[in-house]
Amino acid sequence: MSNPSIITGESTAITRRQLYRDCGIGIGKLALASLLANGAQQAMSMENASQGILPTLHHPARAKRVIYLFMAGAPSQLDLFDYKPKLVELGGKPIPPSVIEGQRYAFIQPDAAVLPPRFRFAKYGQSGAELAEILPFTAEVADELAILRAVHTNQFNHAPAQILVNTGSPLPGRPAIGAWLSYGIGTESDDLPSFVVLKSGDSLSGGASMWSNGFLPGQHQGVPFRNSGDPVLHVSNPTGIDSQTQRATLDLISEINRERLSTVSDPEISARVAAYEMAYRMQSAAPELMDTKDESPETLELYGAEPGNPGKAFANNCLLARRMAERGVRFIQVYHAGWDHHSDVEGGLRGSCGQTDRACAALLKDLRRRGLLDETLVVWGGEFGRTPMVEASAALGRSSGRDHHPQAFTMWMAGGGVKGGQTIGSTDELGFHPVEDAVHVHDIQATLMHLLGIDHERLTFTHAGRPYRLTDVHGRLIEKLL
Amino acid sequence: MRRFVLWGWLGLLTVLIPFSSRSTASDEPHASETTVADVGSAPNFNRSVRPILAKRCFTCHGPDSDAREADLRLDTFEDATRDLGGHQAIVPGKSEESEILLRIRSDDADLRMPPADKAEPLSPEEIQILSAWIDAGAGYQTHWTFVPPTRHPIPAIPASTPSEPSVTSLANWSRDGIDRWVARGMARNDLQPNREANRLTLVRRLYLDLVGLPPTPEQADHFVSDKSPMAYTRLVDSLLADPEYGQRFARPWLDMARYADTNGYEKDRPRSIWPYRDWVIKSLNEDMPFDQFTIEQIAGDMLANASVEQRIATGFHRNTMLNEEGGIDPLEFRFQAVVDRVATLGTVWMGLTVGCAQCHTHKYDPITHKDYYALMALLDNADEPEQIVPNRLWDQQRTQHELELQQLEQQLRAQFPDYEDWLVSQQADPVVWTTPQPTELHSTLPKLRWQEDGSVFADGDATKRDEYRLVYSEGVSVETKEPTPLPGSLVNQPITAVRLEVLPDERLPANGPGRSYYEGRRGDFFLSEFTILVDGTPVKLQAASHSHGSLSVGSGSTDAANVIDGDGSTGWSTSERPGQPHQWVANLAAPIAVDQPIEVQLLFERHFAASLGRFRVSFAAAESPQIASMVPTELKASLHQTSPITAELRDALFPYFLAATPATLEAHKSWLAKKRATPEATTTLVFRERQPDNPRPTLLRHRGEYLQPREEITGDIPAFLRSTTHADVEGRSSMNRLDLARWLVSGENPLVARVVVNRAWREFFGAGLVRTAGDYGTQSEPPQHPELLDMLAVDLKKNGWSVKQLHRRLVHSAVYRQSSQVDNTKHHADPENHWLSRGPRFRQSAEMIRDSFLAASGLLDRTIGGPSVYPQQSASVTAMAYGSPAWTTSAGGDAYRRSLYTYAKRTAPFAAYLVFDGPTGENCIDRRDRSNTPLQALTLLNDPMYVELAQELATDVLREHRKPDDIIQSIFRRLLTRPATASELAAIRTFYLDQQARVNAGEVSGETTSVWTWVARALMNLDEAITKE
Repeated sequence: MSNPSIITGESTAITRRQLYRDCGIGIGKLALASLLANGAQQAMSMENASQGILPTLHHPARAKRVIYLFMAGAPSQLDLFDYKPKLVELGGKPIPPSVIEGQRYAFIQPDAAVLPPRFRFAKYGQSGAELAEILPFTAEVADELAILRAVHTNQFNHAPAQILVNTGSPLPGRPAIGAWLSYGIGTESDDLPSFVVLKSGDSLSGGASMWSNGFLPGQHQGVPFRNSGDPVLHVSNPTGIDSQTQRATLDLISEINRERLSTVSDPEISARVAAYEMAYRMQSAAPELMDTKDESPETLELYGAEPGNPGKAFANNCLLARRMAERGVRFIQVYHAGWDHHSDVEGGLRGSCGQTDRACAALLKDLRRRGLLDETLVVWGGEFGRTPMVEASAALGRSSGRDHHPQAFTMWMAGGGVKGGQTIGSTDELGFHPVEDAVHVHDIQATLMHLLGIDHERLTFTHAGRPYRLTDVHGRLIEKLL
Repeated sequence: MRRFVLWGWLGLLTVLIPFSSRSTASDEPHASETTVADVGSAPNFNRSVRPILAKRCFTCHGPDSDAREADLRLDTFEDATRDLGGHQAIVPGKSEESEILLRIRSDDADLRMPPADKAEPLSPEEIQILSAWIDAGAGYQTHWTFVPPTRHPIPAIPASTPSEPSVTSLANWSRDGIDRWVARGMARNDLQPNREANRLTLVRRLYLDLVGLPPTPEQADHFVSDKSPMAYTRLVDSLLADPEYGQRFARPWLDMARYADTNGYEKDRPRSIWPYRDWVIKSLNEDMPFDQFTIEQIAGDMLANASVEQRIATGFHRNTMLNEEGGIDPLEFRFQAVVDRVATLGTVWMGLTVGCAQCHTHKYDPITHKDYYALMALLDNADEPEQIVPNRLWDQQRTQHELELQQLEQQLRAQFPDYEDWLVSQQADPVVWTTPQPTELHSTLPKLRWQEDGSVFADGDATKRDEYRLVYSEGVSVETKEPTPLPGSLVNQPITAVRLEVLPDERLPANGPGRSYYEGRRGDFFLSEFTILVDGTPVKLQAASHSHGSLSVGSGSTDAANVIDGDGSTGWSTSERPGQPHQWVANLAAPIAVDQPIEVQLLFERHFAASLGRFRVSFAAAESPQIASMVPTELKASLHQTSPITAELRDALFPYFLAATPATLEAHKSWLAKKRATPEATTTLVFRERQPDNPRPTLLRHRGEYLQPREEITGDIPAFLRSTTHADVEGRSSMNRLDLARWLVSGENPLVARVVVNRAWREFFGAGLVRTAGDYGTQSEPPQHPELLDMLAVDLKKNGWSVKQLHRRLVHSAVYRQSSQVDNTKHHADPENHWLSRGPRFRQSAEMIRDSFLAASGLLDRTIGGPSVYPQQSASVTAMAYGSPAWTTSAGGDAYRRSLYTYAKRTAPFAAYLVFDGPTGENCIDRRDRSNTPLQALTLLNDPMYVELAQELATDVLREHRKPDDIIQSIFRRLLTRPATASELAAIRTFYLDQQARVNAGEVSGETTSVWTWVARALMNLDEAITKE
């Protein structure tokens, strides 16, 4: 009871711990301030303030929030970022047995032939980042990017690999990165959730486990925003109820709840009153967020966005991500599923890049010109890479594709304290294994947390008898990024 | 000087008590004083010393040898007092000579323990406790939960001066031993019990707790007006006997069982395991003793003459997920399922975090890495089939369908009089095939077994790339061990053709012929290559044919030639014809001589496990090329042996006639369509112990990783929980799953009764006596009332493991009946109510909230059991899931069934439950979180499902009442049981009048009912409406 305090005149002690663990509330900093101790409030106004369970950040943050562009399905690094002339030379021949011995594959047999890169590559920007020709917009922001070319994972199937990237474990049930951030440092928004999920493209293999709160309190769950209908489930009033009736309803609920509070003195009631008020605010904030009519035609053009056009869902979501960043959402995850190019990797990439390249670059440019990029970490990547070998299968009707390849793939980060204009890590001449600056997905997670002012080893939650953390027992900082 | 590192926060038991006789936790009074109170006297090891050692030392000096520093462990007396070359970490009786204290107190940062870079130095209080403990002899004790519970003398009622006039004295207050233990704790902390809650609160509390539904106002008033001293007991007994009881208590058990109606992971397809859910409900309603309840769920299939019900019970561990993503390694995810089973078993029956030892020896509890895999081995030796659940309705439907099919066949028979000619031609067709017995059977992993009819059956685990080899050489048969002739010598002519029959078998998924059970259709196979070798060299096969080919998952061809084209990605499959025999025939380019040994190879390499489950290889010596017959071999043989053709044979052969000729293809299609419409049996997922000659080896996995298998481990109970050796269980050399099940509820498992009692306590009081859910090990928070827990645990066993009796007892206690109101003083004194001086007040579970509103609205459909149902939900919930499956609201009453019947889709849980901390079914949940969020508010306010209930509630009340105040009170009482206070009534009336005025003024569209719906909606959103007080 280090910080006893008073709530709303009812003289019932409430502590930070009670608020976060026992009352289990998730109501934004405004309401938090009204509930919490003066002492705790003071802590919140300090430089390394945290609105979550951490009294203060572990170290000064370089980024306040994250926009994670998750390219689900696994983009082919060999055709986009990691150019390998050796594959041209070996095209059509099998990979040397010494390389493939003991490797497991999802679909192909390991003796499949090598498939050369599908596109021309060139160097872009002052930094000379090497990119494929089908990323013309990304090429324009090459100097913002820190390209990680030797990322690896230990899962070779989509669902476990996607869940691993998001939660640190390949099995469902652990909290996602966004949930950890919400738990650890809270939210900066008083009318939107701290962890938001947007989605376009095909089905997501990892499913709801990827935005789960796991064993963390329920309010840290990621909230999916829908592209049509209610952006947040049940954020609209029911038919027949206008805002005045809704307000009157909330007032009635609040009045009776407060009367009960005076009788039973359960602080949980105060928390519920605050939660209802935030719900009410969210009812106007969410539609306002989704309404992009105040965006200039130039901005829409920059992203290639067309609000309401499902064909432009990814571009629309990138624009929304920026709007959420402006409104203090802590972790914004933008999924685009459709990179699983088992067949015709060339045509597949043309399609997927066509849907995403422009908007990804636009997001960086837009954040930059609004002065938000330095405090917003943008991450781009999938769950694993794709094989140097070709995938072909008569039974499945596949040809000229690439299979799953967990040993090495490419991601990039930008903004949020990341040193841009560099390419970190390299792979062997076949693009098979990392040879320099290998980075595991746990290292990505550790670094992400670090950029937000959190030591990934020190943000833990005790569950079922032991402390858990996002990175399990792994994770090292990628120093070159910082 | 060697540096021994002391940091972290582990804990462990030790079995050794050095000097005195073995003392147990149960001899000791527990933590009613603070640890500081120990200073000056000999500190209690379990209460005061172990927590310090565990937190500060055991990470590096505990049971995990891999993490151990300086070869020093402090978790046992022997190790801690070992001679370290002239000094000892602990010198009993002499703290000043004990190295551990010298190091802890050292001013030199390089010497001080724990190391400065790892942890803070120990506090003066901690040092004082350690020092006093060493001076008193450094006695170790076994961790209290590792010693079987015993009954302690129930304490006398403390003398007290009641501060509240209504509490006459603690002696009058106490009703049970429960209360006397609690009274002792209260007295020691200067607390007084709360008054008994008023009768309306009590009746609501009892209903919510025992049946998960609120009382109707009439039920509540009945209790309130029943002045008999037996009223309370009568109510409790009637609720315990109510079938709603089993449905209410099934939910927390299903949370632990990780029950769901889908497979989980990417595709998350539907599964049928609801008969297991119904088994749980029935068992709870019948108050099945908890030991039996346990044994049947862990190993019901292994009981003598196991009933279908007992097999259904083994569904407990079949609730693990199944990964059906294309390209996965099925054995890796089978391993993950078993990992989940071990962890769940540990949580549910041992209250231990056994799962920690998957990767390394447990850092806190004495469970070694090897113990873990020994436990796994006990659970690892089962096959995972489906069990048909007999059902009268299904029998009737099947009989009816069979009749309809026969009628269709009769009609078609009349259409095709040339059937007779075909029969004659088939009879004339010479039989040329012979089925020799192989001398060797090999496969990559499945076990191939010779069957009496000449076929081969495969059991055991299938992999993604299975290869079968059948060797026919001079030697003895695999089955009869008799000398067996070479295939060619059987026909005494060179072999010219080979035939592969794929055969149904009820032991296979969907009756076979394949073994596919995930990703592909159940019972599918996909034969990539079929090879015959002579002298190790493949012989050329040609002119292949088959009786049928079709493919699922993909669009490729299933031509007969695919299996002899050398391309593993092409092949033959008979998908969508489960349970049917088919055949494939090829001819040899050059005959194989009579005296040649032969080897046959079958290769299955699709992106999922798709090997054959039952098949037969035959050879022919024929003058003309052979083609696959549409007619199964057995029928053809009967045709040849029977003359004249019997009516039965005519019936049996007719469908094959339809399939055989182009003119009948359309008719065959209509027959197939009817055949496919055969009503499916209800099935459920069960365990079946493997054949004794094909046990599944369990391998230790280094670091817990599937890809790092090490030595084989024999099944056993963790050593520290074993008091006797199980080496000769019933004459067997090792334990099995049934032994494990019996051990779990035997006197040898010191934890199980405590765990069961604690869980029950939590259901009623909101928090357990041990508050660390799922962990009763050395890391658990020391409870305030261990003696109370032990008393209830001992009595539970004494009462024949009756859980209903336990529940009955808990709700009869004075502790339970207290009012939950709290004043400032008491809240400050004991904010978390550790000392139980007030009654429980906490938010209801997601399902109880919906069930309460269903009941209040009058819509609740009380049907028990059956397939899961689909209440109203926004389509956008499942639209986020893989494949965007539709969510079609159930028709009629099914949309209003109790919430535990709601279809549980793992990757898209029912949104109105998930938002209130409902489970996903992905992990064992021993205790749910109780969060309080804005999204909950949006759900209760705006979810059309709840708005509908508000409307029904209002409509139903309006049928009975006309006066606004009556209507308000009726709605209020249906939701909150108690009537509204005058001020509450006034506030609600004002709301009603204001809204009605707006409607009247045309400001907002609506009618009388809508305004009352708005009132009901508001009251459903009150904190108290979703809370148990």
